[in-house]
Amino acid sequence: MGVIELEGLEVRLGGRHVLSGLTGELRGKAIGLLGPNGAGKSTLINTLLGFHTPSAGAARVFGLDSRRQRAQIRERIGYMPENDSFIGNVSGVRFVRYMAELAGLPREVALERAHEALFFVGLGEVRYRKISTYSLGMKQLIKLAQALAHGPHLLILDEPTNGLDPIARQRMIQTLREIRNAGSIRLVISSHLLRDIDEICDEVMILKQGRLAAICNIEEERRSHRNFIEVETVGATDALSEALRERGCECACFAGGRMKLVMPDSIDVRDLYVAAAEHGVEIRRVHHRRDSLEDIFLRAMDLEPAKGELVRL
Amino acid sequence: MSVFKHEYHAYEGRVIPRSARIGVLVRYGLSEAWSSRITVGLFTLAMLPVIVDLVAIYLANNSVARMLVSPGSRFPLQIDDKFFLRVLSAQCWLALVVNAWVAPRLVSFDLADNALPILLSHPISRFGYVLGKLIGLFSILSLVTWVPCLLLFAYQAYTSPGAWFGPNLQVAFGLLAGSVLWIVVVALLGLALSSWVKWRMVATGVIFAAVFVPAGIGGVITGILRTKWGFLLNVPVMMTEVWQRLLGAPAVMRRDLELPDAAIAVVLLAAIAISLALLNARIRAREVVRG
Amino acid sequence: MTDRIIFENVSKFYGEVLGVNRVSLSLPPGVTTLVGPNGSGKTTLMNLMTGLVQPSSGRISVLGLTPGDPDRFFREVGYCTQFDSFPRGLTGWDFLFEGLLMHGMSGLDAHRLAYEGLERVGLTEAAHRKIAGYSKGMRQKIRLAQAIAHHPRVLVLDEPLNGLDPIARAESLALFEELSRQGMHLVISSHILDEVDRISDRVVLITGGYLVAEGSIHSVRSEVRDKPMQVLIRCDRPELLASRMFTLNHCVEARLHPDGHGVFLRTTDIDEFYRLLNGIATEGLVHIEAVAPADDDTRAIYQYLIGSEGGTS
Repeated sequence: MGVIELEGLEVRLGGRHVLSGLTGELRGKAIGLLGPNGAGKSTLINTLLGFHTPSAGAARVFGLDSRRQRAQIRERIGYMPENDSFIGNVSGVRFVRYMAELAGLPREVALERAHEALFFVGLGEVRYRKISTYSLGMKQLIKLAQALAHGPHLLILDEPTNGLDPIARQRMIQTLREIRNAGSIRLVISSHLLRDIDEICDEVMILKQGRLAAICNIEEERRSHRNFIEVETVGATDALSEALRERGCECACFAGGRMKLVMPDSIDVRDLYVAAAEHGVEIRRVHHRRDSLEDIFLRAMDLEPAKGELVRL
Repeated sequence: MSVFKHEYHAYEGRVIPRSARIGVLVRYGLSEAWSSRITVGLFTLAMLPVIVDLVAIYLANNSVARMLVSPGSRFPLQIDDKFFLRVLSAQCWLALVVNAWVAPRLVSFDLADNALPILLSHPISRFGYVLGKLIGLFSILSLVTWVPCLLLFAYQAYTSPGAWFGPNLQVAFGLLAGSVLWIVVVALLGLALSSWVKWRMVATGVIFAAVFVPAGIGGVITGILRTKWGFLLNVPVMMTEVWQRLLGAPAVMRRDLELPDAAIAVVLLAAIAISLALLNARIRAREVVRG
Repeated sequence: MTDRIIFENVSKFYGEVLGVNRVSLSLPPGVTTLVGPNGSGKTTLMNLMTGLVQPSSGRISVLGLTPGDPDRFFREVGYCTQFDSFPRGLTGWDFLFEGLLMHGMSGLDAHRLAYEGLERVGLTEAAHRKIAGYSKGMRQKIRLAQAIAHHPRVLVLDEPLNGLDPIARAESLALFEELSRQGMHLVISSHILDEVDRISDRVVLITGGYLVAEGSIHSVRSEVRDKPMQVLIRCDRPELLASRMFTLNHCVEARLHPDGHGVFLRTTDIDEFYRLLNGIATEGLVHIEAVAPADDDTRAIYQYLIGSEGGTS
């Protein structure tokens, strides 16, 4: 049973088809949700939360139907919305505790878990102040704390690093990775920052114009080997590239001593250094180019997805 | 094991039943309402007439005390259904004041900073949310209306020299029914209007306006068209008639200006329906923008 | 000099609250990135630059102009704020067109420039819809359009990529690069440091209202002397490589990568380091997979100069 199952999901809003023909199963520990603006990511999240009813097809979370078993799904989910969402004139602790109780926790347990969640996300003394006095970073953290406090099985996060400065962003990413690694809570993260998704997620679902453009397992992509190498050199680059071509490499030279190579299996990096030493070239940078999430995303955007067809990359 | 690692895990323990979750909303709503000193102040204010009425009942039934207070004169006050009509009216209008202050407090804070997506992502439906707020508001308003009224009734029955309880049972029924009817209508109206107006203070004003402005319009209609139907919009007049009928008190209005029960019922139901429609439009996790 | 943005000992206080204190800058044409935690004074700096606030002390001159001459000043400066509010009831087209009319140009010119602005950001289809119905990314784009429509020579952008999907981000960055090539001054504030690195010529770091560093990334980096340059080398025997480097008496610090397949080496003499590394690679003792500078970017400088005490959390 996957975390999320979609069967021909179709959602209509305001007379338009916002999502159509979504079919697929996601099993990863941390699932990334990508797509251009207007692709339907928020609508998909809202459908999983039960805010929208599908006009056709079904969406299931942990095997529970989003239309008929809404309350049960919501018991197991923690949601961190993209926009500001809080009750301004209560303290952080009270807010988190309130949400935990609404999720079904008994009173005393709710207070304990609220403090646990606040400690985990890193909100210290600030938790006793009214939320209206919080900075942007703190507001993001309080949203995460209330999503975590009742110990959900699935966390849905919409742009979790939105507006955070670089240090706070690193801390948020680190926190989410800890949650993912602990294993008992799954994550679904929707973001425009490919780097964040790359660092946290192991599976991505890419939407385009309300249809599924791709489902892809990043872990597998990372493990596949390709001998694409980029190097930066100082010295007689042309002579070096000639020598490499003779040995069977494909070689392209650029300004600033940069070279892109495709090496046959018979050659490895050491041979590259030896050849460089022979021609008096100093290698300053060696970089294996593996399919980054950016490439996967761009390829998914270029492809025209047929109705209901799933592209496995 | 000397170093404790704090990891975050899913919760597998006891969960309170779904119906009890509405109680969570009620509890937090009430604590929010009572945290304001103005609420306490208004509530105290609403209790003052009760105390005055209590003294009046005491004096009416206690000839010795009466002699001390105003010797030689026959005490003009008669504790009957007309008396309780005045008591009920006073308490209900004071309840309106309390409602105008408390209802915005219950709803506006949730809407001001867009907390609804997070709130509704919990296992509580929109209906449950409104119901929870309503129960909280209803309990506060009850403390101002039928609870003290029935207590006064009980006190009167207790101190009255003759058998007062039996023949006046309809008064008790009228106090309860009249209060509940009024509370439900104004509570729903209060919640609905608070959810549509951004600022709390404005919401308070709007609630008063919603009750009294139609009265002005109704007065205009009555005056110009020379018809009694204008009074349907006049809430004070209309409610006085309702209460009077429920209590079994003698008619307040002239015969030809009396409004039929059915018409009044329609107006009250329409008010409830409008409130529910407003709430339905506003209490949503997501707004759908058309076009 | 009339091709620079100059701040001379500028301070700005809001009552007692500090905006910026004693800032001196001289920015040439090209892309300058403004980096710092939330609340560090970036927005104040931008408001000062665009003439929206006056300094409490010090002088500001933008291309030789000051807000004392508003007709010319505001013609040359374009500002895209981070704040997401618009006048009510306007369509995208109205917003642009009427803004241009306020510059005093003729209706025909305004019409032409408005259309051009919309084309540049790709909003021509949605232009006649109300801004209230736009998605977050579209609102970002319309703000950008109004900042560039009147062809200013100085463009100040406060978090311009916020809310844009990956493709729109890449397009915007390409647009900024093109504008800078045409000789414009671009001042961009952003939290996403790796995007910053891709296009910026110089970086300005600010924290707590004080300027911490200013210059090209490489020159700033080389001036941070208490933190020698760090290089990440991925290889099969990282400990062996580290000990070899220490034997050659060159490294200052070695740190193994957590995954066990790489080592971070610090050196005070980067050129000598690469020469020695190339020698070790040809020896074949260690199989080198990848070589890359680990901290020659804005993220590392941010870490070193602002660090974790820079945040307000």
